[in-house]
Amino acid sequence: MNKMNKKQLLCFINEVSFALDDLALFLNTHPTCKQALVSYENYKGMRKQAIKDYNQLYGPLNKYQVNDSNYFDWVNKPWPWEKECDC
Amino acid sequence: MWVYEKRLQFPVNIKETNAKLAQAIMSQYGGPDGEMGASMRYLSQRYAMKDKHVQATLTDIGTEELAHLEIVAAIIHQLTRDLSIEEIKASGFDKYYIDHTIGIWPQAAGGVPFNACEFQSKGDPITDLFEDMAAEQKARSTYDNILRLCRDYPDVYEPIKFLRAREIVHFQRFGESLEIVKDNLDKKDFYAFNPGFDTAAPCIDKDGCGCKK
Repeated sequence: MNKMNKKQLLCFINEVSFALDDLALFLNTHPTCKQALVSYENYKGMRKQAIKDYNQLYGPLNKYQVNDSNYFDWVNKPWPWEKECDC
Repeated sequence: MWVYEKRLQFPVNIKETNAKLAQAIMSQYGGPDGEMGASMRYLSQRYAMKDKHVQATLTDIGTEELAHLEIVAAIIHQLTRDLSIEEIKASGFDKYYIDHTIGIWPQAAGGVPFNACEFQSKGDPITDLFEDMAAEQKARSTYDNILRLCRDYPDVYEPIKFLRAREIVHFQRFGESLEIVKDNLDKKDFYAFNPGFDTAAPCIDKDGCGCKK
């Protein structure tokens, strides 16, 4: 299981997600760039695992990750603009 | 369809309130070159854009602008959330406070409300892409102006620096999009032929030059 604490794991998710956001914009206008495609695939795998770990340890990041038992967490956990979020 | 993710694209953690700074930064929420105009511009322009690379670019940059809108709102919220009435009076935030308390509402730094006329969706891919490139530069200049005001506030400076850098990347991507659209047009007819409306380039000679277009 992931050794990062909640803040570190969310920070990691932010970083790999941003790499994907930026690569996707590049790939839209350079859809055959092999180097960017390999990089996209690499970050995609890292994000998938990190999100899975986050869901198991700290709850959902989007509503499709909500389970019956943690529905309440979706409304109850702080929103990203709040002080309590500390993210 | 959009899916909300419970995180900011770039984290915002502001420890000290500052109503004066909030009022300046507000322009990037609902001002003439703000993120609200940016997101609505790109997401609205998609429908007249025929090229698939550029449709993807408008969708993804338009989506990212929504995330930037949220970052700017988080900055304003955190700069104003614990304000005392004395601070509101002393900072000049009282004019905003009267109508919106400390809620978030789209207006320019000078108080002008957000208006859809701050962006255009012309239905002409070349016209729209030139507008998009100009918009990215105007937003970059606004972030430069904000950075000059918040040099001493690292909590504010860092997310603003991130947003400024994104304007430069988006400008580059729209420049490439414009080249893609131009590469697929009749090079003699860049400005006479609207690929968002015309099915073929018309002959610009009203008496006909014999080309039968």
